[in-house]
Amino acid sequence: MCLPSTVGASSSHDDAHSNPGMENDLSRILDDLPALVWTALPDGDVDFVNQRWCDYTGLTLDAARALGWQTTIHPVHRPELAERWRSSQASGQPVEAEVPLRRFDGEYRWFLVRSCPLAGASTQLLKWSVMATDNHDKRSDEAVCARWWLLSSGREAHFRAICDGIPSLISLVTPAGEVEIVNRHVLEYFDVTPESLKGQTTTDTLHMDDLPKVMAAWQGSVEAGVPYQVEARRRRADGVYCWFHMHGFPLRDVQGHIVYWFLLERNVDERKRAVALLAGEKHVLEMVATGVALTKVLDALCISSDATAEECSSSSVLLLDRTRTSVGYVAGPGLPSSYTRSLEGRAVESGEGPCVLAASLKTQVIVSDIQSDPRWQSGDWQALALAHGLRSCCCSPIFSLTGELLGVFTIYRREVGSPTPFHQALIEQFTHIASIAIERTRSEEALRRSEAFLAEAQHLSSTGSFSWRVATGEVTWSEEAYRIFELAPALPVTLELLSTRIHPEDWLAFKQQVERSRRDGRDVEFEFRLQLPNHSVKFLRVISHRSRYESGDLEYAGAIQDLTQRRLAEDAVGKLRSELARVARITSLGALTASIAHEVNQPLSGIFTNAGTCLRMLNSDPANIDGARETARRTIRDARRASDVIMRLRALFGKKSGTMELLDLNEATREVIALSLSELQRSGVALLTQLTESLPRVRGDRVQLQQVIMNLVLNALEAMRGVDDRPRQLVIRTEPDEKDHVRLTVEDSGVGFEPQGVDRLFDAFYTTKSAGMGIGLFVSRSIIENHQGRLWAVPNEGAGATFSFSIPRARDGVTGSDKPDAIPRPAVTDAMHALRRS
Amino acid sequence: MAMPLLVSVVDDDESVRESLPDLLRELGFAARAFSSAQEFLASESAGNTRCLILDVAMPGMSGPDLQRELALRRQEIPIVFITAQPDDALRPRLLASGAVECLFKPFSDMALCEALHTALRLR
Repeated sequence: MCLPSTVGASSSHDDAHSNPGMENDLSRILDDLPALVWTALPDGDVDFVNQRWCDYTGLTLDAARALGWQTTIHPVHRPELAERWRSSQASGQPVEAEVPLRRFDGEYRWFLVRSCPLAGASTQLLKWSVMATDNHDKRSDEAVCARWWLLSSGREAHFRAICDGIPSLISLVTPAGEVEIVNRHVLEYFDVTPESLKGQTTTDTLHMDDLPKVMAAWQGSVEAGVPYQVEARRRRADGVYCWFHMHGFPLRDVQGHIVYWFLLERNVDERKRAVALLAGEKHVLEMVATGVALTKVLDALCISSDATAEECSSSSVLLLDRTRTSVGYVAGPGLPSSYTRSLEGRAVESGEGPCVLAASLKTQVIVSDIQSDPRWQSGDWQALALAHGLRSCCCSPIFSLTGELLGVFTIYRREVGSPTPFHQALIEQFTHIASIAIERTRSEEALRRSEAFLAEAQHLSSTGSFSWRVATGEVTWSEEAYRIFELAPALPVTLELLSTRIHPEDWLAFKQQVERSRRDGRDVEFEFRLQLPNHSVKFLRVISHRSRYESGDLEYAGAIQDLTQRRLAEDAVGKLRSELARVARITSLGALTASIAHEVNQPLSGIFTNAGTCLRMLNSDPANIDGARETARRTIRDARRASDVIMRLRALFGKKSGTMELLDLNEATREVIALSLSELQRSGVALLTQLTESLPRVRGDRVQLQQVIMNLVLNALEAMRGVDDRPRQLVIRTEPDEKDHVRLTVEDSGVGFEPQGVDRLFDAFYTTKSAGMGIGLFVSRSIIENHQGRLWAVPNEGAGATFSFSIPRARDGVTGSDKPDAIPRPAVTDAMHALRRS
Repeated sequence: MAMPLLVSVVDDDESVRESLPDLLRELGFAARAFSSAQEFLASESAGNTRCLILDVAMPGMSGPDLQRELALRRQEIPIVFITAQPDDALRPRLLASGAVECLFKPFSDMALCEALHTALRLR
């Protein structure tokens, strides 16, 4: 072993004094070092300082001796350093500390101060060698340290004592790459002797993947003769690779030729792992945050774990399905898919394989040697794992924050062995991340699902929701609300915007509602219409509920329901219903008319024929008197038959019984109005009711009287159907009439009738063709007459007609109120039945 | 002396069955009356009838039903429909189906005479 130049130090009693030339070289090199270097005796007296120390502090060696070198250290840091110094003196360990040192101008700069106790043969402390590098700008210059080491190790013992104190791998390598000198840490790391290193190259222990990178850096550096830095993995004695920050720089002789390469390799494995772990963690959490599918997130997590863990290991995350009774997805991008797929679907209860068992027992399961472990002799897992080259594994359950089992994190290794503390730390870290990922993803999924449900429900029910913060005017609408208003989503909702949609006739009322809500803070429910740009109209109902925001501000939460479809459907149903009623009315009245005509026509036909025959018989020569007599008799019989039909018809409307009861005509009228409202609305008729309060009650058949009222209302509507040049107005009025009667009036603005035709209106068989009006009024009149009342019609002064009926009020002490009185029932079906019964 | 032509009357109304045959005989025809289509079809008269006076609405087989049945049997008897139903739409429909005439009850003997002559001229 040889060094380019050997060193002694200082001015004191050192063996190096025997060679003054060497001392000069040493001093020159020490002075060149970009660091402050000094040595101190155990009692603290300084015995050497380099030129830079003098330049920096502005002190000479003598001044340093006189004042004590400690005075350059910032007073605040002095006690701490002194304490560490004392403990180091006892243990013989080097001290490294960052302290501010005072410059000549009184300014303090941060320095990294490294001091090594130099022990003599008797292990007694000889002196301290101290080097301080300026890291004020957070710059650590290992090169300085190394050169100092080199130069201060003039002799083997001296050299080792100093460089062994530096916690890095330090090697001196020939330009050809052969290792010359190494420090203690190198020997320990690789578990080798200095002799065995001879002739070896530094690349032997490098990780295969890092070799090209290191070689490139090295070669580039050799060619240019400049220092290089590179990070690479070196294999430790136990086969584990650790990351090192490698710093190489050339050492030159006085002529400037490179004689050695100095390698300083700092173990950065933990930092590297921490960074990788952090990066992996960040990546995984970013994926979770951006809503990436859980399976992809877990794959990424495994990749991150594999990158952090050492060689020949692959991790996997086994995810339980939603029922938590069987294995769902198994992530393990570093494992053969034939292995991971075969685990999926296994029942947790079965406990087949350590992963499933860990899920079943909810505890960590370690298999240090898959082949020999007796637990897996039965079942297919062992063979499966071995077939895929797996030799050991450690399975750890993943729990949620609330302690629910979510899955299992497993590290498989292709070597036999138990998990190291490093593995356990890694497992702890990754199960934690996995737990976050799974829980977050699941809750995001649940949220998305519930949002989707809500949107779907809103869509199906045509209901949008909104919130309105009154103080700020901030309005938030759901997607469906925008759809209902046919506005582009995310447009800011303002009154101006709403004014483009709300029906002009409803706009004022809408603004008043908004203003009232703002003022009163009451719950609101009202309906309004939209008028869309294509002029279609929508019917909406808004319901909003007041709530106070955390800040105490008034906020409304509400729903906007689109009633258009329902309204249209109701209209359609109403239309259909009244149409049906009308058709039924016409049909049944038409059928009644036809039936009556048939019954009358039959005997009439007989009369005609018989009379004709009779005449012919009398005119024949000789006259057939007997035949004529017979036909005349038949004529009379048929005429009686016809008369009977009419009699029965009159009886039908004159003598059938109904139920008499005490009733309020106003109430009966209101019921009829309620039944006709949709018909009135559809016909565009404005209804005015003037029902006199406290109207005396009447005695009658409620259903029959209501039929009469309904009939009058429908007739009025019929009469107004074609009216377009004036309002279609219907007035229904009740009032006391003279002679203890009660009167109901129905007044319309329809086509009316000629005054001279008034009597014919009530003819039973008048106008059989026009919607059965005649029979209706005929029946109505007979009903009213059977209530001891009368029904009449008068043309209006202006347009239309007024129909009225007046019936007696119920008298006190009227008896037989429980017994049905005899009263006509002109129901159509009964009528037909009665006619047929002839 | 030639045999008088047979005119058959099918009507469920008794007064028609009583009165029409007498009139027909006064007009110089032989007449027979039946209360239903089935009764007519079952009788011997079906083959001899030269003109059929047929009520439209009858229980069971109606007038038009009988008309169709006769057409199926290739018994082409001229038919004069009579009806008490005051339905304006009925007449053109029946005439279109091949009837000679459709008389609404009550009808005059003159109207019947004209219809019969039309029917028998067709033969």
